[in-house]
Parts: sequence; structure tokens; C-alpha cells
Amino acid sequence: MSISMALFSPPISSSVQNPKISFPLLSTKRFSLLSVTRASSDSAAVSATTVEIPKPASVSVEEVPSKPPAESSSDETDLPTTATGIKFQDAKWVNGTWDLKQFEKDGKTDWDSIIVAEAKRRKWLEDNPETTTNAEPVLFDTSIIPWWAWMKRYHLPEAELLNGRAAMIGFFMAYFVDSLTGVGLVDQMGNFFCKTLLFVAVAGVLFIRKNEDLDKLKGLIEETTLYDKQWQAAWKEPESSSSTLSSKK
Amino acid sequence: MATFALKSFTGLRQSSPDQINFVSHVPSSLSRSQRRTSLKVTASRASPKLANRSLRVAVIGGGPAGGAAAETLAQGGIETILIERKMDNCKPCGGAIPLCMVGEFNLPLDIIDRRVTKMKMISPSNIAVDIGRTLKEHEYIGMVRREVLDQYLRERAEKSGATVINGLFLKMDLPEEWDSPYVLHYTEYDGKTGATGQKKTMEVDAVIGADGANSRVAKSIGAGDYDYAIAFQERIRIPDDKMTYYEDLAEMYVGDDVSPDFYGWVFPKCDHVAVGTGTVTHKGDIKKFQLATRNRAKDKILGGKIIRVEAHPIPEHPRPRRLSKRVALVGDAAGYVTKCSGEGIYFAAKSGRMCAEAIVEGSQNGKKMIDESDLRKYLEKWDKTYLPTYRVLDLLQKVFYRSNPAREAFVEMCGDEYVQKMTFDSYLYKRVAPGSPLEDLKLAVNTIGSVFRANALRREIEKLNV
Repeated sequence: MSISMALFSPPISSSVQNPKISFPLLSTKRFSLLSVTRASSDSAAVSATTVEIPKPASVSVEEVPSKPPAESSSDETDLPTTATGIKFQDAKWVNGTWDLKQFEKDGKTDWDSIIVAEAKRRKWLEDNPETTTNAEPVLFDTSIIPWWAWMKRYHLPEAELLNGRAAMIGFFMAYFVDSLTGVGLVDQMGNFFCKTLLFVAVAGVLFIRKNEDLDKLKGLIEETTLYDKQWQAAWKEPESSSSTLSSKK
Repeated sequence: MATFALKSFTGLRQSSPDQINFVSHVPSSLSRSQRRTSLKVTASRASPKLANRSLRVAVIGGGPAGGAAAETLAQGGIETILIERKMDNCKPCGGAIPLCMVGEFNLPLDIIDRRVTKMKMISPSNIAVDIGRTLKEHEYIGMVRREVLDQYLRERAEKSGATVINGLFLKMDLPEEWDSPYVLHYTEYDGKTGATGQKKTMEVDAVIGADGANSRVAKSIGAGDYDYAIAFQERIRIPDDKMTYYEDLAEMYVGDDVSPDFYGWVFPKCDHVAVGTGTVTHKGDIKKFQLATRNRAKDKILGGKIIRVEAHPIPEHPRPRRLSKRVALVGDAAGYVTKCSGEGIYFAAKSGRMCAEAIVEGSQNGKKMIDESDLRKYLEKWDKTYLPTYRVLDLLQKVFYRSNPAREAFVEMCGDEYVQKMTFDSYLYKRVAPGSPLEDLKLAVNTIGSVFRANALRREIEKLNV
């Protein structure tokens, strides 16, 4: 570690003796060897991370390419000098945004297909992250698709589903309560307990749409209060241990 | 009615005990040992006056927090010793300071390498939004070199009367009695690099722990742990024509490829750029994230050479105990880094200053001994002033750094002028400024809209996956 530390001179010095540590961009092996030898605080920054790298091999790797800075045309420069990589291409993606004219159907823009096209683009980019470039900036703004197109495609089907669930639950519960207690639907509406039950049923249908939502909600509630608890810890009585609050991320 | 035995604490050496006088016109009805653990403490006017010497305070760590604390202490007439282990330390850091820091700490403009007035936020699908149109002429984010800033603040502290020692703090003996001094064990370097240094000890009345994220002072007082993020950064020297793009512009990349819970950045420094990323939850994948960040900025840093690789932990929240008797933590040691933006320099310096001010006030310019209640005043003031800021940033991080759709919505919203104005106002001047209610309502509606659209697109993506 100390040998590699010596290789790093202060970053702002432009002296020629700066050994240029060069490696190709995608050579992950060499990269991983090099990056461990951080020239930062020599104390515990190293211990803070859990990166294990075989050390002896790394030293020899760094010492090899110590070229004078002027010579940079060889294939050992750090970062590639040519822009490579596959890019997202589509006939309808013009100048960094979707060309609305190409999405017309029966004389009107087909917003649904634009939404699907944008989803495809985002999926592509998630799987193959691309570099951004100033020459071809991405300018698409999802708000050009009108609100009613979003509603029709996403909100309405889900609303139909949830309303259906609520109606079924409501009908069955009304029948159930009536058969047990003899209280009819109109009288149920006047009863406080029944109104509470109704509220719980509606909230349940709204917030718990899948089985996993129950745990997710519990986690959310805990999450919202965690940060506050961490700050208020300084004001609590010193209890048994102080590390009780330091997990859960 | 003080039931404790008042020993003649005149100082660190034996001397005649007949000069103690008490300022005892206070609710000293409760003995001090009883009040020590209660939350509401009044001023400890029952502290003894220090005869024939000033209060002696050691500041461990000579970064922004330590430098600011030492300067304020020294100006307040307190005998200050600043212990720093590496005088030319280039702390790995983004290096951004808000405008208010320049004014509040009277920083000379020549330590600011660059003034960033434009920012670009880039979403996972590479939608880029320009931020900074609302900045006025005189407003900017200052980029500094840490070694320059730290040195300047330390020099100012020295000019105000502090003693700066180049040494490594090892450990601290806690006092047995309430009026015994703290004994610091440290290794003093006499200026020769590579020398092993001499082991020394020092007795002080109070300690300010400003020694950063891996604080030994915090360990000595059992302050507890915090969650931390790893920030990994590479300094890259890029060709001049590419450097002009980053003349006064910083970039922020968000996305799952770049970081699952933070962001990747390209910050311009004096003559190179710093490209980095960070994470809390997936520290093992940090190099993967760094590669992805470089990939996203590839075109703009083409032909660059990596001149330095560095990393450092960043605390995510304050330690459970930020002070203990006469030891207080400030800066990164206390964990005062904001979420969402990861800003720490200003808060470090400000907390150092605030803590020092509390000590100066509690000791009446060094004439009296202080105790925990004086330091608690600093905590109270700090929490009162800055907790809203921390809370808001935490909320932003929780909501907008969760997932790719959330980040897309975030970037979309950052394009809104009102958002930019509010963000910069609160960042540059450190106030959570109340905007106009109508604009706030519009903003709320737009937020919901953006989040809804982004999530809808995500559902569409999931449909495509099936």
C-alpha cells in the first residue's frame, strides 16, 4: 500500500513526474486492483470499505505504464478516445425526442403508442446505460402527453379494479352483517361502528393491492420516523448501548 | 447547596486553593451530579472560576470544523490547541461550498477555484435538465480545494492565538472526578515527513472532536456508530476543449446503474474534473457504479487521464451521542452531513463555530470551567436552526432516490423554475424559505403528476418484460 501511495502526488501539481496511471476503461481486473490503492486519508478510509484485493500483484501493475504525459496516443490511455457503444436508435426518435407526427393514427396522435415507445426506450437504457452527449441531448418531456391519455391508460383500469373489489367486499359485508345482526343496509349506514368498518374496508382496498403491500406499508411507516429518531438520540438518556439505532438501511 | 466536594481546581498544577470564589446565585438546589443526566439543564453558574489561567480546550482535527472552532475559541480568550495529523491533507471531497459560507466565514475569494453557476441533472433515461437559470449575477456555488481551505482556516486560527500542533490523536483518558482534566495521548510530528514522532500527553479541560468520519474522539467517549455512505471519486484531467464545457457547470447523474441510493457527479475542480459516485447500501458494488458513472459521462470526458483515485466514508445521520461531559463532536465526527446532496463542509464549519461559541459563552471568555450543560446549549441551538433543513433533505432523498421512476420524476421537476429558485435559495443561504402558497400548490400538483407518469411508465416497462 505504501508503495502505491507514493505514486500518487498531489492532484493539482502539474509536474511531469506525475506517473500517469493508465488503464483501459473496461479492463475491470486492473481497475479493481488499482482503485483499492486510494491515495486518500491513509487511516481508516481503507478500513471503512470491505474491498479485498490481492495486494502484491497490484503494485507491479501500476509501475509499468509511467509514460511522459505528452505521449497519449498509444492504446494505454485511461479513457477511450473514440465514442463507442451501442446507442438507442429508432426511426421515430428524432433529435432527442419522439417525433409526434410519426405517431398519428386516423389523423390524431396516438398517445398510447408514444407511451409504449418511451417505455421501450427506458427499458433499453436500463439494460444498456448510455453515455449522454451534448451533441444529441435528450429533450423528451413526458408532460407533452396530455393528462387524459395517462388517465385512460393507467388510472381508469386500476380504478375499475379497485372499485370492483370495494363493491364486492361492500355487498358481502352488508349481507353478512345483516344476516348476523338483522340490521338492514340503511340502518347500518347510521351506525358508528359500521361506518368505521366501511372506512377500514375502503382504506384497505386502496392501500393493500398486493400481498406484499402489507409489509411495504409497515416498512414505510418505520422509515418515515427513523431519521428523526436518529437525531433525537442525542437527547435521550444514555441507555444500555448506543448502537441500537444504527442499522436498518 | 452544593453537596459535592469542591476540590480546589485551580488548574492542572498544584497551587494554593484559597482563591476560589463561586458564582452561586443560581438554582443550584439540585446537586450537579443529579442534574447531569436530566434533559433540562440550566446554566451551571456553580462552576468554579478558574484562578490564574484560562480555560484550556483542545480541538482534535484541523479541517473546516476544527479550524472554525479553534478560531472562535481563540478569539474568545480561551487557550486553544489544535491537533491535526496531516497539514497538507487533500481530503477526498466534492469541494462545494454555498454562497453563505463565503460571507459568514469571511473567506477570501481567491481560495475559490471555480464558481459553478449551472448544473445539469441527468435522469436514468438521459433526459438532461439545466438548472441555474434563476441564479442572480452574484450567486454561485464555490468549488474549493480542501487542502487550501483547511490550511487557510487553520492559519486564521493560529493568528487569533491558537496553537496548532502537527500530531496524531491516539486516545483520551476520561476524568475520574468531575473537575479532573482530560488527558490526551497523541503522537507529535516535528515536521519531518516519514518520521515516527514522539508520544506525548496533554491535559485539557474540554475537547472538541472535529476529526472526521472515523473520529477517535467519538470512539473515546462511546458516541456510538452511524450508517455511512462510501463516496468514491476519480480525478480526471480532460483535454482543454472538453474542460470549457465544465467551466462553470457541474453535473449530477441519477439512476440505478450509477447508484441505488445516491447520485453520480462530475464536479469541476481547479484544472481537472472529479467524477464520482457513492452508495450506502451496496458498498461492495461501488466500482461498478463508478464505471457506470464514467460511462454516462464518457463523451464529455473522452481522452482524459485519471490522476487520482480516492474514497471516503460520509456519515448518513448523527451519532447517537454527540457530546459527553466536556467533550463535544462537530462536523463529520458528529455526523452533520445532509442527505440527498451530501453536503458537509458548511455544516462542519458552522457546527465548529457554534460549539466554540457555546464554550466561550459558558466559560465567560475562558474565566470559568464549563460543563455538559454549556455544550448542550450548542446542541440545542444546532438542532433548532438546522433540523428542518436536514429533515427536508431526508424527505427528498427518501422520495426521489428510491427507484428509477422516482428519479425520472425528480429530474423532470427540477426543470421547473419555481423548484430551481427554491432549491438554490435554500442551498445558498441555508434557509428553508417559504414560497408563495399558489406556487406551492402548483408544485404539489406537478410533483404528483410527474411521479404518476414515471410510475406509469415503469409499469409499462414491466409489462414489456413479461
